[in-house]
Amino acid sequence: MIEKKFRIDFDESNVLESVTYTLVSEFNLKPNVLRADIGGDGHGFMLLSLVGEKDDMIRGIEHIRGQGFKVKELNGHIFHDYDRCWSCGACVSLCPTRSIYCVPETQEVRLNTDTCIACGSCINACSVKAIQLEL
Amino acid sequence: MSKTYDEINDKIRSGKAVVMTAEEVVDLVRQKGAEKAAEEVDVVTTGTFGAMCSSGAFINFGHSDPPIRMTGIRLNGVEAYGGLAAVDTYIGATSLIDPPGTGYGGAHVIEDLIAGKKVRLQAWGPGTDCYVRKSIDTYISLDDVNEAYIYNPRNLYQNYGVATNTSNKTLYTYMGKLLPRMKNATYSSAGALSPLINDPHLDTIGMGTRIFLAGGEGYVAWQGTQFNTSFEEVNGVPVKGSRTLAVIGDMKQMDAKYVRGLDITGYGISLAIGIGIPIPVLNADVMRRCAISDDEIYAEMVDYSLPSNRQCMQRYTYAQLRSGSIEYQGRTIRTSSLSSLSGARKVANQLKDWIEHGEFLLNKPCLELPKEGKVKPLLERGL
Repeated sequence: MIEKKFRIDFDESNVLESVTYTLVSEFNLKPNVLRADIGGDGHGFMLLSLVGEKDDMIRGIEHIRGQGFKVKELNGHIFHDYDRCWSCGACVSLCPTRSIYCVPETQEVRLNTDTCIACGSCINACSVKAIQLEL
Repeated sequence: MSKTYDEINDKIRSGKAVVMTAEEVVDLVRQKGAEKAAEEVDVVTTGTFGAMCSSGAFINFGHSDPPIRMTGIRLNGVEAYGGLAAVDTYIGATSLIDPPGTGYGGAHVIEDLIAGKKVRLQAWGPGTDCYVRKSIDTYISLDDVNEAYIYNPRNLYQNYGVATNTSNKTLYTYMGKLLPRMKNATYSSAGALSPLINDPHLDTIGMGTRIFLAGGEGYVAWQGTQFNTSFEEVNGVPVKGSRTLAVIGDMKQMDAKYVRGLDITGYGISLAIGIGIPIPVLNADVMRRCAISDDEIYAEMVDYSLPSNRQCMQRYTYAQLRSGSIEYQGRTIRTSSLSSLSGARKVANQLKDWIEHGEFLLNKPCLELPKEGKVKPLLERGL
């Protein structure tokens, strides 16, 4: 079993397709919608975390690509510059998944990219621009 | 038991001084008592690393040929004061870049200079018989300028408030990003490590006290602005801002590791700076006060969605605040700090290291700071 995160972009032509149902029923993948956003013009994106067998995941992603969705794997989607960060902690209480935390022994602020759902709440709370989010 | 500055400095010079941080002495005093601990320990080091907006630097650029009397000055596009003599200036930490909006300001100029970077100097003058030049556009570095020293009129707030937001919208304040409906609360003091918490009535700290200032040696120059002694004390320390210090120090000694230019969303530019003060253990009373711990220091939570007259909602100890969440009327509020505890520890430990190695002697204050001080409001009135 592996877990990966994907950004799936859609538009007017495929906005009504049921992506998550297809991934569950046809590819035995377990999706978790981290974020979903759709505008009035039918354009939008969804951040999905997928858990499943590697082959299923490759076939599932190929399938939805074939339906016209733009799919991008999120790898290092959030970057925490530990040189610039001075561990003030302003971001810590904002993180909904507690992916940003103070290491108890050192009190240094660290980021767990595995559990980050790319909500972006920390970005404008950082006074030294030490966190960058790329989706 | 009592010790003098001279006795402590003799021990420092011979490499025999026993130095501990204000965190380390908490357990020692609990175990052995203040009398015994005061016999063992010579110096307690404190530290803090946080945003201190009322900061800035004096710089003398040296004279160009032909010379100019600068009246308008920009450093990397940030306005510096042009009302001093020909090539002197003061750059304030919160000064904004012109045009504003790039998240760069005076604090970043100070950080860039300390980091050894070149900074663009643009200056204009009226052109006089003695200073014929009317403008200059060049680059300077910390090595090039004659003098560059930090002079911060208000640093090291003794204690500070806890900020939360009861409104329905996110607030962007100098106390950080405050989520709606009290989802979070922020605080800023270094608590048990904070310099003025460990010497709450300034029995040892005064004008001329030698300090750690951003990786270099600095001095306490004066009481800080808005110096206030009128707040209630619990366990011997005030529960609000209270005392402050003005500090001075040579920028050329400083280390960029202890300085950060900050761009605080919705507020503006500020300077984070690491400052540590050594406290000589002159007697058991000094020792006892240095042993205060986070669970004995209180701060008051206030609602930043109120435009003025923010009353205390509840008091919390720094131990509670540091736990990650506090309770208020049955609900849980997540907490986070705005000053760096890891940075404060680095400051206190670096200062400890200097003193242990005989590289930093204590300076007896030449003047006591005021025992009383009140903050007056600004009134709006006619002549």
